[in-house]
Amino acid sequence: MTAAYLIAGQSVRLALREQTVVVMAALLLALVLLSAWLGWQATTTVHQIYLDAAAFLAAAGKPVPDIQILNTSALGLMRNLAVYFTLIGALSAIVIGNRLVALDRKGGILPLLGTRPVTRATYAVGKILALVILIGGLVVLAAVISAATLFILPDAKFSPADWGRLTAFFGVSTLYILIFGLAALAATARSRSETIGILVPVTFWLTATFILPALTLNLTPTAVLNPISALVPAPETAFFGWTGWALGPFSVAQNYGSTAAGLLGYRPALWVSGAAIPPLASLSVILSAAVWAAYSGLRRLSQTDEGCDV
Amino acid sequence: MSNPSLIIAAKDIRDSARDPFLAIVAGFLAVAALTALVTGAIALAGDVATYNAAKDALLALGKSTDEIKPPEFYPLRLLRGAVEQIEIVGAAIAILAGFRAAAAERGRQTLALILTRPLTMRQFTLGKIIAGIGLLALALGGVFALCAALLHGLSGIGLTQDDLARLALIWAMSLTYTACFFLLGFGLTLHLRRPATALLIAFAVWLILVLIAPQIGDTMDPDNQIAGGVFHALSIAKADQTRIMQGYTTFETIRDGIEQASVTKHFERLSFAVLGIKATYTGLPLGPILIEKIWDMVWIIATALGLGTIVLALPLNPKTLTEE
Repeated sequence: MTAAYLIAGQSVRLALREQTVVVMAALLLALVLLSAWLGWQATTTVHQIYLDAAAFLAAAGKPVPDIQILNTSALGLMRNLAVYFTLIGALSAIVIGNRLVALDRKGGILPLLGTRPVTRATYAVGKILALVILIGGLVVLAAVISAATLFILPDAKFSPADWGRLTAFFGVSTLYILIFGLAALAATARSRSETIGILVPVTFWLTATFILPALTLNLTPTAVLNPISALVPAPETAFFGWTGWALGPFSVAQNYGSTAAGLLGYRPALWVSGAAIPPLASLSVILSAAVWAAYSGLRRLSQTDEGCDV
Repeated sequence: MSNPSLIIAAKDIRDSARDPFLAIVAGFLAVAALTALVTGAIALAGDVATYNAAKDALLALGKSTDEIKPPEFYPLRLLRGAVEQIEIVGAAIAILAGFRAAAAERGRQTLALILTRPLTMRQFTLGKIIAGIGLLALALGGVFALCAALLHGLSGIGLTQDDLARLALIWAMSLTYTACFFLLGFGLTLHLRRPATALLIAFAVWLILVLIAPQIGDTMDPDNQIAGGVFHALSIAKADQTRIMQGYTTFETIRDGIEQASVTKHFERLSFAVLGIKATYTGLPLGPILIEKIWDMVWIIATALGLGTIVLALPLNPKTLTEE
């Protein structure tokens, strides 16, 4: 196990020296910072519009309907975080996963490791551990920034239960982006070309984020990117009932989005999943499959590997 | 064919014909676009069935059907999801095509051989750009042809010549839009030391321009904070909405400015207007729409031309290109 820790530590240090990893991580953290302001600005503006509209309706002698956004938890201000984890969080994880293996393959590190008493299984565990450390560190940084911005926002009051739910949200987000990081580890270990090692997980991400929601809920890509629009119910037809049930468990982005909405308190009260497996359970199954894919892919890497093409 | 750029372009196109990459990525884009089209059509069929059931129920009760509004059907509006897939997936594919066009010579170490011929670096770059954009035109043409054929079959009323003209215009603008991302991927891969870094930077730019900037604008839209829209939830008429929103001009200017910064939003606004996806343009003749949306077209064309000029103007470093 000590060897696995050594490999993990060395891999983390190597990845942190990579500009692309740092740029993607910085982009995610900047968006986390923006997310709180964006949520607060949008919510206060729509609240003010609601008050103006209510005054207008009252003057016209019409009833003023109650609308849900004004009744959601203060954590709902952070709703854009879920979208940013879906977009840049997942892509950052792909970049990290890719670099963790590609750097070793291109640098000719594997034959060197082959001269040491290190098994392929130890190497695989070390790389997965490095991915968990890097992604975990990134999410912890994002959580600290979010907590700091929540303290700064005016009129935002949070109970201990809210902090607990925010912590759970970051936990689920870590598991979600790990799926893509593990997919990148697996793809980069199995492919002969570095580009294919990036392309395969990116295609998986594009399919999960933009194609499966269209099949299960008739969501357009723009609707997927809006945390509120992404929670609309599926059209009431047999087709969407069936696709939602059968393909819903594979729609990882959708499952993450609805779980995040539940934790941050902006999911509609009457929202129900039409999938055969509940969202959190689906995410756990897919994460387990991704761990297996990464582990088996890394174990297949030959210690006489001569590197990968561009 | 004596023009060296055209010879390079023809060689690249022949190379691509032997490589399954183009067919695979074009197939992926076609699947994404057709999925969006078909699911949109199924959802609309569901709305029609619900409307007919409600109408029958009201008629059976001897009540008027004026209270319920029939679903509107304009075939081109079903292309909303397909246009959005081209915006996102098409742009990503264009980056990959640009990356491969530049990285191919680096990977095979063939550049040194090519440069032994009477050919300037600019002619070489231009040839690569012509081939890349030509292949994008072919891939997008295939996607649009499939969409048009499916739309013709699904709609049951067929597509008119006016519909086909609108589709042809959006194909041309899709090509110009995706060319921007091809040039981005191509330019970065030609000039950065490591091709993989170039690809990742191009994807970071894609992420900001295609996904994040429009997403911020969309999220700031007060009407997108509530499913169905705040004004719809409050049953407020369009004219009254405009009056209420007059007090939020600064907010709306900032929101619009963020959206305008992205070439993707210009492409979306133009496409949604021309295809009548945005309700205010549905059924309007093409001429007035183009006059109103001329700046969106200019923005897209200027971005492509600007990027093309930069890529052609930047001197190539043969040492960088022969690495990796």
